[in-house]
Amino acid sequence: MLYVNQISTYYGNACALSGVSFEIKQGEIVSIIGANGAGKSTLMKSIMQVVKPRTGTIRYKEKDIMHMSTHRIVGEGIVYVPEGRDIFAPMSVQDNLVMGAYSRRFSKNELEELCEEMYQLFPRLKERRRQLAGTLSGGEQQMLAIARGLMSRPEIIMFDEPSLGLAPIVVDEVFERIQYINKQLKISVVLVEQNAFMALSVSDRCYVMENGKITNSGKSQDLIQDDSIKAAYLGM
Amino acid sequence: MQNVLFQLIVSGIAMGFVYALVAVEYTLIWNACGLLNFSHEKIIMLGGYVFVGTCINVFHMPNLLSALSAILILGLFGVLIAVTIFIPLRNQSRLIAVVATVMLGQILNEAAVLVWGPVALMPKNFLSGVFTFMGATIAKSYVYIILVSIIIIAVLQFIFKKTKFGKAMTCVSIHKTASSLMGINVKASMVVTLLISFMICAVIGIITAPVFTVKQQMATMIALKGFCAGVIGGFGSLPAAIAGGLTLGIVENLTGLILPAVFKDAVAFALMILFMMFSPKGLVGVKESIKSRRIKKAGEAG
Repeated sequence: MLYVNQISTYYGNACALSGVSFEIKQGEIVSIIGANGAGKSTLMKSIMQVVKPRTGTIRYKEKDIMHMSTHRIVGEGIVYVPEGRDIFAPMSVQDNLVMGAYSRRFSKNELEELCEEMYQLFPRLKERRRQLAGTLSGGEQQMLAIARGLMSRPEIIMFDEPSLGLAPIVVDEVFERIQYINKQLKISVVLVEQNAFMALSVSDRCYVMENGKITNSGKSQDLIQDDSIKAAYLGM
Repeated sequence: MQNVLFQLIVSGIAMGFVYALVAVEYTLIWNACGLLNFSHEKIIMLGGYVFVGTCINVFHMPNLLSALSAILILGLFGVLIAVTIFIPLRNQSRLIAVVATVMLGQILNEAAVLVWGPVALMPKNFLSGVFTFMGATIAKSYVYIILVSIIIIAVLQFIFKKTKFGKAMTCVSIHKTASSLMGINVKASMVVTLLISFMICAVIGIITAPVFTVKQQMATMIALKGFCAGVIGGFGSLPAAIAGGLTLGIVENLTGLILPAVFKDAVAFALMILFMMFSPKGLVGVKESIKSRRIKKAGEAG
C-alpha cells in the first residue's frame, strides 16, 4: 500500500536517515523500534513531508507522494499522530475532533456521527467534550490525538510513541485501542515505539532502526525470539 | 465639566478602537506567520492614500465606493506581499523577515511622495461635522470609527468562531505542524491572514483620514500605540488586543483632565512600561492571577 524506497533525509548537513526502505500492506500493523535518535520519527515525518527527504521515492497506492505537501497527503488518506500529541490545547475536545476531519467534506450530521463513534471508542472523551483539550490528563490527551487522527477516516494511521509518559495501565488501554482500530475499523497501522516488547507483541511485522538505517526486519513473532533483539531491546 | 468628561470618554473610546484595530491587524499576522509586520504603519498610510489620493481625487468616485475599492486593493496587495515576502521568508532567520518588512515600509513611504506628492490630503465631506448630544459636542468621525470598529470585530469573531476556515486559522496560530497534519493548508491560511490584515489596515487608514489627514506620518503614532495596546491587553490574543486598545484610549484621554495635554502621548508609553514590569502578560495576565489566587484561597479554606 505504502512503499518507501531508499530515502535519505538530512537536518542541515547531519544525516538522519540514509537509504531507508520500508513498506506496509493493507490491514497490517507494522512497528518500528529503536533507541532514541535512531531516526524513527524522522522516517514518519519524511513520509508526511514535514521534513523533506533529499533522495528516494515514496509511493502510496501507485501515486508518487514524495513532493506533495503535507496537507494533501492527509487528504490522500495517511494520518500521522505525532510524538508529544500536539493537540490544540486552547480548543475544546469536540473542536479538536472536528478539526481532525478538516481534509474531508463531511456534512454536519456525518461529523456528529463520527464524533459519536469516537466517543464510543474513547468514552472518557465524551465526559470531557466541552472541556479545553489542554486540561486533559496525559492519557486522555493521547486518546484525543488518536481520535482526532481517525476523524478523517484514513487508510493508514501512524502513531509516534503513543505510550510516551503514560502510566502502565493507560499504556495497556492505548495499545488495546490501537489493535481495535486495526481489526475492527480495518485501518493499517504504523507503530513507532521505544517500548519494544509492547510494539512486538501487538504488531504483525517489525523494523529495527539504528543510526538512521534499518538493521533488521521480519515477522514480530520471530524477532521477539531473536537473541540480538532480546539483548538490545528487551533487556533479556 | 460633565460635558467635557463625556466628550473625552467618547473620543477616548474612538481612539481606543483605532488602537484595538491596529493591535488586531498585527496580532493576526503574528499568530499566522510568527512574524511582526513592521511595515503596518505604512500599509495604513497606503490605505489612506489609495482612498483619498486615487479613488476620490483621480477617479472622482463616491466616498463609500472609494472606501470599498481601497479596502479591496489593499487586500490584493496583502496577497502579493504574502506570496513575495512572508511565505518565502517564513523559514529563514527571523531577522531577515524583519528587515524585509521594514524595507517594504520605507519603499511605500518614498513611493507615496512620488505618487501622491508631499502635501497632506483631506477627504472632502467625509465623516465630517458634529453631533450635539446632551450638551456635549462630538465629532461624527468618532462615532463612525466606533461603529465601523465594532462591525469589523464582530465579523472577525464570526469568522474565527463559526467558519471552518476561520477555525483552521486558529489552529495554525496554535500549532503549525499539527495543523498541516490535520490537512490544513498552512500557506493558504497565511495568504488569507495577510489579506484580512491589510484590509483592516485600509479601514484604519480610511476612518482616521478625517482625524489625522492623509500624510506620510499619519499612522506613526497610532501604530506605536497599537503596539502598546497589544502589550497592555496581552500579546497574541484578539479579545486582549481590544481590551488593551480601549483601556489605553480612555486612560490616555482622561489624563487630559489632570495633566497638560503634551503628556498625553507619554502616558500611553508609561502605561506600557508599567505593564511590562508588573504584568508582562497584560490584562489577560492580571485576570489569570486573580483567578489563580481565588482558586488558591478556596483551596486554603477547604
